[in-house]
Amino acid sequence: MTRPVWDANRLTLALAAGAAIPLAARIAETGAALVPALGLALALALVWQAVFSRARCRPMAWDGVVTALVFVLLVPDGVPLWQQALSLSFGIVLGSLIFGGRGRGFLNPVVVSLSFLLISFQGIPDAVAGTPVLVAAGVSGALLLALGLVSWRIVTGFALAAGLLALSRPGGIADLSSATLLISLVFLIADPVAAACTNTGRWLHGALSGALLILFATGTEAIIGLDPVISAAFLASLFAPLIDQGVIWRNTRLRARRQIRGGHHG
Amino acid sequence: MSGHHGPTVRISLRKGRDLDFGAAPGGGPAVPAKVGAVALLGADYPGALLDPQVAEGEAVRLGQVLCRDRHDPRIAFVAPVAGRVRHTRRGKRRRLEALILETGSDGVVKFDTVAAQSDAAALRALMLDSGAWTGFRTRPFGHIPGPDTQPAAIFVTATDTNPLAADPLVFLTPQRAPLQAGLDALLRLTAGPVYLCQPAGPPLAEARDRLVIAEITGPHPAGNAGTQMHHVFPASADRNLWQIGAQDVAALGHLLRTGTVQGTRVVAVAGDGLRAPGLCLAPLGADLADLTRDHLITPGATLLSGAPLGGRTAQYLRRHDMQVTALRPSETPSGPFWRRFLHALPRARDGAMIPREAYDAAFPFAILPAPLMRALAVGDVETAERLGCLELLEEDMALLTWLCPSGLDYGILLRHVLDRLAEERSA
Repeated sequence: MTRPVWDANRLTLALAAGAAIPLAARIAETGAALVPALGLALALALVWQAVFSRARCRPMAWDGVVTALVFVLLVPDGVPLWQQALSLSFGIVLGSLIFGGRGRGFLNPVVVSLSFLLISFQGIPDAVAGTPVLVAAGVSGALLLALGLVSWRIVTGFALAAGLLALSRPGGIADLSSATLLISLVFLIADPVAAACTNTGRWLHGALSGALLILFATGTEAIIGLDPVISAAFLASLFAPLIDQGVIWRNTRLRARRQIRGGHHG
Repeated sequence: MSGHHGPTVRISLRKGRDLDFGAAPGGGPAVPAKVGAVALLGADYPGALLDPQVAEGEAVRLGQVLCRDRHDPRIAFVAPVAGRVRHTRRGKRRRLEALILETGSDGVVKFDTVAAQSDAAALRALMLDSGAWTGFRTRPFGHIPGPDTQPAAIFVTATDTNPLAADPLVFLTPQRAPLQAGLDALLRLTAGPVYLCQPAGPPLAEARDRLVIAEITGPHPAGNAGTQMHHVFPASADRNLWQIGAQDVAALGHLLRTGTVQGTRVVAVAGDGLRAPGLCLAPLGADLADLTRDHLITPGATLLSGAPLGGRTAQYLRRHDMQVTALRPSETPSGPFWRRFLHALPRARDGAMIPREAYDAAFPFAILPAPLMRALAVGDVETAERLGCLELLEEDMALLTWLCPSGLDYGILLRHVLDRLAEERSA
């Protein structure tokens, strides 16, 4: 048997490379201020993974690197390091490792971390990143789309739903082109682990995330902040298994009908 | 549907994926291979228990019964060559794992085919005695069909879209006469249609009333019987279908015309461990080392029975594989720097299924791949059945196994689930 092209390490490498592009732009923008947060997040993620792999007697997994990079990308400036550490630990352990690691749970650990951060602590500022980060996020999103690691159905469904709802809202909506939104779309909403796993489900999941985003963004001025994006990603990923069940139910009914009708011939 | 050729079904599929593993064998005549040993393998016949009828050291003739199925002794497994029984190997619960024959004499069993030419019961008896019956696999489950059962349809596979496979038209076109005789015989085993699934091109047989030519085109796995059945006439818990390879049908035609068993098949030999790909004429269950010995670039190549997709490291050719792949011992990394870097990156030892769109794009069934893979990975028999696993056999999962980063072999997992379902059904 020839070996598969992708394995867990190669997936981690590709996603980490994807996250590194906007992160480099972000560091160029903010300067060295981001470096301690980045070091802390990487160290925490790897320590938690090492702890769980020892406890479970399993080989070390490295996908925490991607979690750490995306977390640092999305966490707003000015959040104290201890708050970051606490929420990232919460997200990695309860969002992923407790289920057995990446691919065995139904949530994205970054979404869990940031939800924890936004719910637990007062006065979290809105993340504001500049155009270079937005462009870099677009580049990495395009690369991951080309590699087939991001579902184009989710992205399109999201863009359609969010765009149509935004246009139909009285007064219009603020700018949909924020770096936070694009990074969240690529790494959180379209994360195959947290999204629906059927093609129809992917369309619905993307559309649901987009609709929820516009729903939560009500009242927000100027630009889409972190809060509505993370809330939409979190709720949508909770609904993803239900969406898949609906698709499975429809599929079994359609196949039963096919069986009765027979095939092409006879 | 065309006029004077009788019924024809044309299906073209878009989903699937053709992978490039190097050069496949082209045309040219199949070279008879010098094979020292052949094996009858228990693992090739899920659901059957092989009961040896010959002793170690005993001389056997071509077509002589080697084993019978303990569940139904009418099902016989015969020698594809004349020779001597070298040894039998038993595995768990003393099940026969392999019966190895040494080639090297020339006795032939002659079957009386007169009654089988007209009488359906005699035809079944002849097929059972001559081992031709063991070429059939049922869907669901992939078992040898019961001698008294009637399928809703029989699918004859004259297509092969596996990577490195040969074009079946090359070696089937010269065998058109025995193929037609075999197809006419198959019509007497079922009241339903017999589908000859072939690539686009001149028809390999003359279509008549229930004998339908199905032209299937598209990327792999369009050539698998499972894909064809799914799109032409799907199997289900209540609809039992049989599948058989076109070469097995031609061998049946040969048996009916001559009274002797044709133990050889045209086998494609390819892979990057070989100097050049080629076709050889090899007995069923042939020793893979004998088939590849003269063509290896370096000794120690990994030999697979089957295609690079879904093939398994093996010593002997499996019953339904018409293909041998020789892979270089270790891929020597070459090319751009990122390829060498990826090669140096350690492989994860395990991982979970990550549902990607690529699975849906490569799976030409109205079956949802990611939920099915999840159900198989956790051994959820009920969900797998509800999702449609009864339509599938091991080979249909090969592409998903190759695409999935978890390293799970969904073919083996599917086999476990099918065995459990078959057990429940017979209980």
